[in-house]
Amino acid sequence: MKAKIIKKTDISSFLDRLVKDYEVFAPVEKEGLINFERISSGNEALFDCPNTKMSPKQFLFPQSETLFSYSSTKDTCELEVPPGPEKPQLIFGIRPCDAMSFTLLDKVFGGDFKDPYYLNRRANTIVVSIGCLSPKATCFCTSVGGGPFSTEGSDILLIGIGDKYVVQIVSDNGTKLLDKKGLEDAGKEKLDLAAGVIKKTEAAMNPGVETEGLKEKLDNSFDDPIWQELTEKCLGCGVCTYLCPSCHCFDIVDEAADSGGKRIRLWDSCQFPLFTLQASGFNPRPTVKERFRQRVMHKFSYLLDSCGQIGCVGCGRCITECPVNLDIRQVLNSIAQLEGVK
Amino acid sequence: MQELTNMIREVARDLLKQKSVDLIIGFAQGTMPLCSTPCFVRQDDEVDRLIWDSFCENNLAKYLVKRSNKIAIVAKGCDTRAVVELIKENQISRDQIVIIGIPCQGMVDRRLVESALNGKEIQEAEEMNGELIIKGKIFEKVLNRDEFLCLSCKTCTHRNPVIYDILVGDPVTEIDTKPYLDVAKFEALTPEEQGEYFSREFAKCIRCYACRNACPLCYCQECFVDSSKPQWIGKTTNASDTAIFHIMRAFHLAGRCVECGACERACPMGVDIRKLNRKLSKDVKERFDYEAGLSLEQVAPLSTFQPDDSEDFMLHP
Amino acid sequence: MMAESKDWQPKIVAFLCNWCSYAGADLAGISRIQYPTNVRVIRVPCSGRINPFFILASLQHGIDGVLISGCHPGECHYLTGNYSARRKFALLKSLLEYTGLEEGRIQFSWISASEGVKFAKVIAEVTEKIKTLGPAKKLVKNPS
Repeated sequence: MKAKIIKKTDISSFLDRLVKDYEVFAPVEKEGLINFERISSGNEALFDCPNTKMSPKQFLFPQSETLFSYSSTKDTCELEVPPGPEKPQLIFGIRPCDAMSFTLLDKVFGGDFKDPYYLNRRANTIVVSIGCLSPKATCFCTSVGGGPFSTEGSDILLIGIGDKYVVQIVSDNGTKLLDKKGLEDAGKEKLDLAAGVIKKTEAAMNPGVETEGLKEKLDNSFDDPIWQELTEKCLGCGVCTYLCPSCHCFDIVDEAADSGGKRIRLWDSCQFPLFTLQASGFNPRPTVKERFRQRVMHKFSYLLDSCGQIGCVGCGRCITECPVNLDIRQVLNSIAQLEGVK
Repeated sequence: MQELTNMIREVARDLLKQKSVDLIIGFAQGTMPLCSTPCFVRQDDEVDRLIWDSFCENNLAKYLVKRSNKIAIVAKGCDTRAVVELIKENQISRDQIVIIGIPCQGMVDRRLVESALNGKEIQEAEEMNGELIIKGKIFEKVLNRDEFLCLSCKTCTHRNPVIYDILVGDPVTEIDTKPYLDVAKFEALTPEEQGEYFSREFAKCIRCYACRNACPLCYCQECFVDSSKPQWIGKTTNASDTAIFHIMRAFHLAGRCVECGACERACPMGVDIRKLNRKLSKDVKERFDYEAGLSLEQVAPLSTFQPDDSEDFMLHP
Repeated sequence: MMAESKDWQPKIVAFLCNWCSYAGADLAGISRIQYPTNVRVIRVPCSGRINPFFILASLQHGIDGVLISGCHPGECHYLTGNYSARRKFALLKSLLEYTGLEEGRIQFSWISASEGVKFAKVIAEVTEKIKTLGPAKKLVKNPS
């Protein structure tokens, strides 16, 4: 691999230089919560910390964004599309699971119908990931095609070895970022150390979920009564979808005031009862059972059909944040172990 | 705790054997340390899943609405208060439920414990004699259970069930909390300080509605948030819309909120949701001499009036 | 952001119940009693019909002060509507002030159909109070 080396103690000044040319977002602690915030100097960033509460999808797909605004007079109506961000953005300290979600979102928003809002942000975003040295018991990235040091979706991956990081260059954007930054090349010794760290960490991960044959099992067990049992405690609160790095459902609303207003896209959740409520009053997903089942099917079956990728990155946020501990691993394993279903 | 677990299982077994109920809603072991999870038991061979420990924090009354069969529910003090309000609001009938009341010593907040460990992952946890023995990959720590109670448990006035059919365990002494001291303290701040506090708190809100969905008393078919004709508030994280969401949700719970804390525990962003609810609880108590969930007979405060209700808030030129 | 000029005039909305307060306002007009012109009147059947959202929506849209007025207790055309309103608004006012809304932005009164003079007095008092408080900022929905 092409890689440089940087001392952990130099990260802060490295970020200081980046802040000049980019809007830099990094994990910051506020009142006990760690979330990505805009930093104006490198020493605000945390990087030896647990993963952020909110996923970084908000930087490509914000909780709400104005699609256009309009103002009208008696004879005219003017539309205005908000300009994109002035500076490109750099997200520092993403985990490989979250970075991998970007590759899925790229397929969803850049597929047959190209979403200009997402694609504009994406083209102006640099992703600097940090590999996970201590994955949690609730992490299962390796079950879904990822890993604690996966480079999917990243431009640069930092691999911690003692007091330094090996700075692995993943993409051309990564090369450009490090151009003229004066970082030394990583020698073979450091690269070997990094490889060792990666191997050791991956081996220590929890087995997670068996995804081999899972799609077929899911497709064939749609009507199985086990879904009622598995989902009975679900509150339909939607926290899983809001914090999930790969969930991307949205609603579009108009907010009008007098003769002007705006059209806004905002996060929606398939777990909300109104998500599939039809104008007639009929709701094809009337209870939490249908809605939760839909979420699982979408992530582990339908997205495989439409995008060729599992819609889950194994970050574990839905497990740790669910108020009733509805564990998706338990759900998937129950389906995988169903007898009489192929 | 093991004793209480055994008692609950025995009660559950009896109820199923006598066919007194079709379903028992209780708690089972969760998939993470310091975590228990709601559990639905219908057969005798499922009874041994039921447990009782200091992590049984969910308000199971949430699951009672719109049920047509006979159900038993494991309920702590605050949960039984929610049950009382649900009965009064005709969401469940008294003779449909068998309340297995459990006097509660307060529940432990998993997140408080996690933050005391500075990001180190908890691999195993055990509770013994008022202590939490926490083990991680390279550490072991013993914590005093009472220092890590949920926020709502710290201000709890009703640890003992207020209504029950079967009582499991001995009654506990109520904490002699001076009621609403925290509210009075906040009332004494200037409007600027108050405004600033709420601005800061509501700025954390991502409008996920977990608070609403976790609340047993929020069971409206269509929440005001989803109303589009008229649209009362927008759905973005705009500061004004978000503030009004929290203010009005609290207002809709005036005299109904039992302060179980389900809302603030469900909130992923740590918003101080209960602050508004506590203010309303204090006002309802002082003005209308009413506390939610204590009496099946007392009429809800906003469904009635007294001819001499106070007019101290009104303009009398 | 607009600076507060000397000529700033507050915008005040008054929700008046049809049977008493609105009639009282009418009487003030017929009697040619002068009162500040900052008030916009919205007629409702009863003070008990007022949804707290009306007050909050007003504040959201930049209204500087809200007055709600109904029949005196015991005189409600619908018998008990004003009693319900009294309880609701006691709680709402207290809650909003707890969140930092300035005391005096929302006001409640009883004005009967024969109290034209009182109506004018209430409007004058409320307008004066809002003038000292200045433009409302707390819950205003800024363009996002």
